[in-house]
Amino acid sequence: MSALGGKAAGGEGINPTGSVVGIVILLVSIAATYALGFSIVPLIGIIIGGALIGFGVHFVPVGGAPAAMGQAPGIATGVAMLAAGAGLAGLFGGAWAYEATGDFAVAVAGGAVGGGLMMAITCLMVNATYVFAMGIPAASGKIAKDPITGDTFPEYKSQGTEGHGLPFISFFGGVVGGFIAGLGGTLIYIELLDVYHAGLPAIMQANPEAIEPLAVSLAGIFAIGFFLVNAVLAAYNITGTIEGPHDPKFKRVPRAVIGCAVASAFCGLISMLIVLNTGM
Amino acid sequence: MTAKMEASAGAISENTLMIYGIVVALVGTYLTYLNVVTGMAVFSFFGGIGAIAAIWWGSDTIKHLCSYGLGTGVPSAGMVAFGAGAIAMIAGTKFGMASPIVTLILAAIIGAVIGYIANNVINMNIPVMIFSLMKLSIVGALTMLGFAAMCTGTFMFNGLVIGGMTLSMEPAGEAAAGGAQTFMVTVLPEFAGSLIGGSALAVIFFLGAMALQHPFNACLGPNESQDRTLMLAIEVGFLSMFVVAVMSYAFLDMMAATVGLIISLIGWFYSYKQYIALSKRDAYAWLDAKPIIEVGGHE
Repeated sequence: MSALGGKAAGGEGINPTGSVVGIVILLVSIAATYALGFSIVPLIGIIIGGALIGFGVHFVPVGGAPAAMGQAPGIATGVAMLAAGAGLAGLFGGAWAYEATGDFAVAVAGGAVGGGLMMAITCLMVNATYVFAMGIPAASGKIAKDPITGDTFPEYKSQGTEGHGLPFISFFGGVVGGFIAGLGGTLIYIELLDVYHAGLPAIMQANPEAIEPLAVSLAGIFAIGFFLVNAVLAAYNITGTIEGPHDPKFKRVPRAVIGCAVASAFCGLISMLIVLNTGM
Repeated sequence: MTAKMEASAGAISENTLMIYGIVVALVGTYLTYLNVVTGMAVFSFFGGIGAIAAIWWGSDTIKHLCSYGLGTGVPSAGMVAFGAGAIAMIAGTKFGMASPIVTLILAAIIGAVIGYIANNVINMNIPVMIFSLMKLSIVGALTMLGFAAMCTGTFMFNGLVIGGMTLSMEPAGEAAAGGAQTFMVTVLPEFAGSLIGGSALAVIFFLGAMALQHPFNACLGPNESQDRTLMLAIEVGFLSMFVVAVMSYAFLDMMAATVGLIISLIGWFYSYKQYIALSKRDAYAWLDAKPIIEVGGHE
């Protein structure tokens, strides 16, 4: 039983059958939500939030173990950890903004800025470590020229590596990725919070002010769960490392968007069952 | 990130582990109901034992999934397990006495959907993907339910959301047993002082996720052996249980929480010794560390 199977195929392109079945699951989740008497607007918000997380994670430059050894560009950890860091920072920012202002737009923007800021700080410190501690310049192995600054890479790239450090395009990708993922996470949180605000007082027979901490905690824990599920699905789509929006793997992003939307729709349906009056 | 990971052929088959894991986790969680039957909260620690059984089984499942080379590292599997498990567990606790069973079924359904997405929409094409993610979601949900039951003394929604959190040392047996403190009709329940309302569940979430992802992540390699990985799972499980026992001082009475604390400490001590013994067995050589001998200035 040793050496089960080989390397994961992880092929390019979209699997038509799988995607169609996925979209059917999504539509059935929406229909079931409607049939159970909930408004479908929060579920749509959750689906959009999940798709945004899946989309945003692909921008983040993930280097993994090779990056820690200076053999590949990117931040030296896994996708799930980075996405969780950026997304949860965004989530906290957004949740705080919602608590303070109660304004949807301000809260979502707060979440996006929180996620982007977290990634900007991470990328800055990662590059400081690479340049001043490990003594390596930033060079991408996938492209010859930075699409934004026009810096050239081949003359700085060490032989036998795929590049190293964090070039500007990767830094830019990290900030954009944190921005989008933070926005998605906050959107999920706010939609869930509204559902629980409306539904919990009725089933718990308590008044809305008393139920406030419970609604916030439930929405927060569910949002963390949603975020991790979506981030790991996106990580599976990336299969390991990605340099940022210029990486050829970025072309796989439609699969992750479909996958995360379907997963969010189904998990959203389950999370709304909490406020369904089961009589127990 | 493409280091070759091999799953060792173990003495215990995967299905045997699954049966033991599910049965012990469910029985352990149900045994916390003895709190209600007897009116004492001392049976809460059974929830922790159930959670450890789930982690023990889950670390073997992670081994089989990750031997396919996901490219994302072992911890991501633990994270998705608990992300899906948290959703199933909170939704499942709504169903009263049937909660553990409903949690298991809900987790299996969520896991199957996520597994299908990973395998067919995202094109992972890993044969064990759907079944593995189903099992991991169940592990995540049952672990969280077990630890939540240990922490509060009940596995039902009302007990988890209506405040039992108290730092006074008076017996809170009724709160633990019935799941709710007795309030005057006009007084509002303290939702903020509960396991979920106070977000203490988030701590349990990550305690469980770390215990699940760590054993195979630490033991993988050419001479990974099943009994050592599983012993490490039990050891980290007891370590997480210890923290949950400390948390349970806020919800349970002094004696019940201390019983949990002592059991987790004894379990951790025993499994740690066993794990060290197994590591010595599997190691090529075991050299006890000694301080570097200083030769002195000019010799």
